[in-house]
Amino acid sequence: MMRLLLAIIALAVVLAVPAFAGEFWTTLLTQIMIFALLALSADLLLGSAGLFSLCQASFFAVAAYTTAILQVRHGVGTLIAAPAGVLAGTLLALVFAFAVRTRGVYFILITLAFGYIVWGVAYRWASFTGGDNGVTNVPLPAIGPLRVTGTTQYYYVVLVVVLLCVWAYRILTASPFGLSLRGIKSSETRMRSLGYDIGRHLYMAFVLAGVFASIAGVLYVYHNRFINPVAGSFPVSVEAVLMAIIGGSGTILGPFIGAGIVLILRNWVSGFFHYYTGMLGIVFIVTVLWAPKGIMGLIARWKSGDRGEGV
Amino acid sequence: MRSVILQAINGISLGALLFLLSSGFTLTFGLMRVVNMAYGAYYLLGGYIGLTIARATGSFELAIVGGGLAVVVLGYGVDRFLIRPIGSNHLAQVLLTVGVAFVIGEVCLAIWGGDNLKIPTSAYLRGSIVLPGELYYPKYRFALILFGIFAAISLWLLYHKTQIGAVVRAGVDDREMVNATGINVDRLFVLVSALASFFAGVAGVVGGAFLTLNPGAEWDILVLALVVVIIGGLGSLEGAILGSVIVGLLDAYGRWLLPEFSYFVLFGPMAVLLLFRVTGIFGKEH
Repeated sequence: MMRLLLAIIALAVVLAVPAFAGEFWTTLLTQIMIFALLALSADLLLGSAGLFSLCQASFFAVAAYTTAILQVRHGVGTLIAAPAGVLAGTLLALVFAFAVRTRGVYFILITLAFGYIVWGVAYRWASFTGGDNGVTNVPLPAIGPLRVTGTTQYYYVVLVVVLLCVWAYRILTASPFGLSLRGIKSSETRMRSLGYDIGRHLYMAFVLAGVFASIAGVLYVYHNRFINPVAGSFPVSVEAVLMAIIGGSGTILGPFIGAGIVLILRNWVSGFFHYYTGMLGIVFIVTVLWAPKGIMGLIARWKSGDRGEGV
Repeated sequence: MRSVILQAINGISLGALLFLLSSGFTLTFGLMRVVNMAYGAYYLLGGYIGLTIARATGSFELAIVGGGLAVVVLGYGVDRFLIRPIGSNHLAQVLLTVGVAFVIGEVCLAIWGGDNLKIPTSAYLRGSIVLPGELYYPKYRFALILFGIFAAISLWLLYHKTQIGAVVRAGVDDREMVNATGINVDRLFVLVSALASFFAGVAGVVGGAFLTLNPGAEWDILVLALVVVIIGGLGSLEGAILGSVIVGLLDAYGRWLLPEFSYFVLFGPMAVLLLFRVTGIFGKEH
């Protein structure tokens, strides 16, 4: 009952944001939701299956590039360009998902290398991707007579899409499939001896995470209105994982809290401090050393009354 | 034909540089299962410090030693105060050391700025030599190849022919067992890690004399070193040697033949290799 009330209040607040908070916060919150979705996709692998992927930005970028190129260069409408973006990201995920043949360090290093392939192609294949300049002047989305004309409207579009994704994510993680992923995370040998096809489960999880990342990518390109190789770079991938961990890996709210913290910090700090990346580095270090279970972990510890070393 | 040969030399000289960086990564991983993503930043910092020393003293040799030693001090601090407390969790190690790399990169940017900088070498390393068939080639790159071979041989001898090497090899195979025989693996690790940091710093100086030092260079070189390690197999010195040559050649020919997809040329074979042999050429299950 309490939770339902809280959820309703939270929903009312996010719905009302554009009305009282002004353009700056509306834009920032749109960005937070988009990156929270990316963080959620990283956490589908990390929180549920225990796989640390460093190439989520690849699907994000490929989806964004596909949508941008279709819209800008070929004049294709949003109705086709947006799903095509998600499709392209998903196809890439189908290929990269072979990384689940490996575990542990090898998985981390391979996904990192995969991420660099995408970044490298985006950066060097300038005749197609626009190289360093990327693709600019992406229009706001429009389907037939329905046009998004400003940040406020786009905020609601992102809100609806992200809420739908969260809903799907919940169903997914609570399903037998999601539960067997958690089983694999806690003991792969046990699940294997119980007769589960580990490889197929992880492959599916990887592809589904790719779908979420691709949706985030399409949302991003319409928000940002341009796309360049930075979107597919290593820092974006690792930042997505960091967001999930700061908030609390394995929870739904965690990635949102994490994305909020990281992006608000970035906006606030960039105003007066030149060295944002270095500060982000300190956030990485502090999180790992003192809050490995993130904000949600701290809350859970506080609730259970445990003041000791809970980790 | 001329280009084929020139690119081969280019590739092998890059391989020599990559060996300096990846040997440290692979041995520290082999011994302590530590994934340190800050090696790229060590490389960059070593290079910048070497640059400052070379400008101040005019000696390239002093720059190499100074750059290497500075990184040893830093590497020890990172190992002792940041990596050791978090234990053997790879995820935490990666996030932590990426954070360290971000901080180091930013400090470098604040001190040395964002321009592409090159370290001046000694006079006898400048100019070019003439190969049979009227091929002109920079002297420096040849020296680098020789240096790489020298480093590989000395490391190989240290690893296979000395008592310390035998203990390290035993530690890579079974750390608990070595500990149980009364050898302090933690202390051994400090030694190996110091050597690895030194090599990374040295790599920064010798690399900074023919590639450039600039913000972001730390990640470019780290990724190449990681591919070396993945192809060769984590924890294997022979793997690092072979992997360095393969990656160097792939990179050189890739940039020359397919400039737009050079990353693909580099990572494609790696991916295919991994489908058939998950642990790289010489690697073992970890």
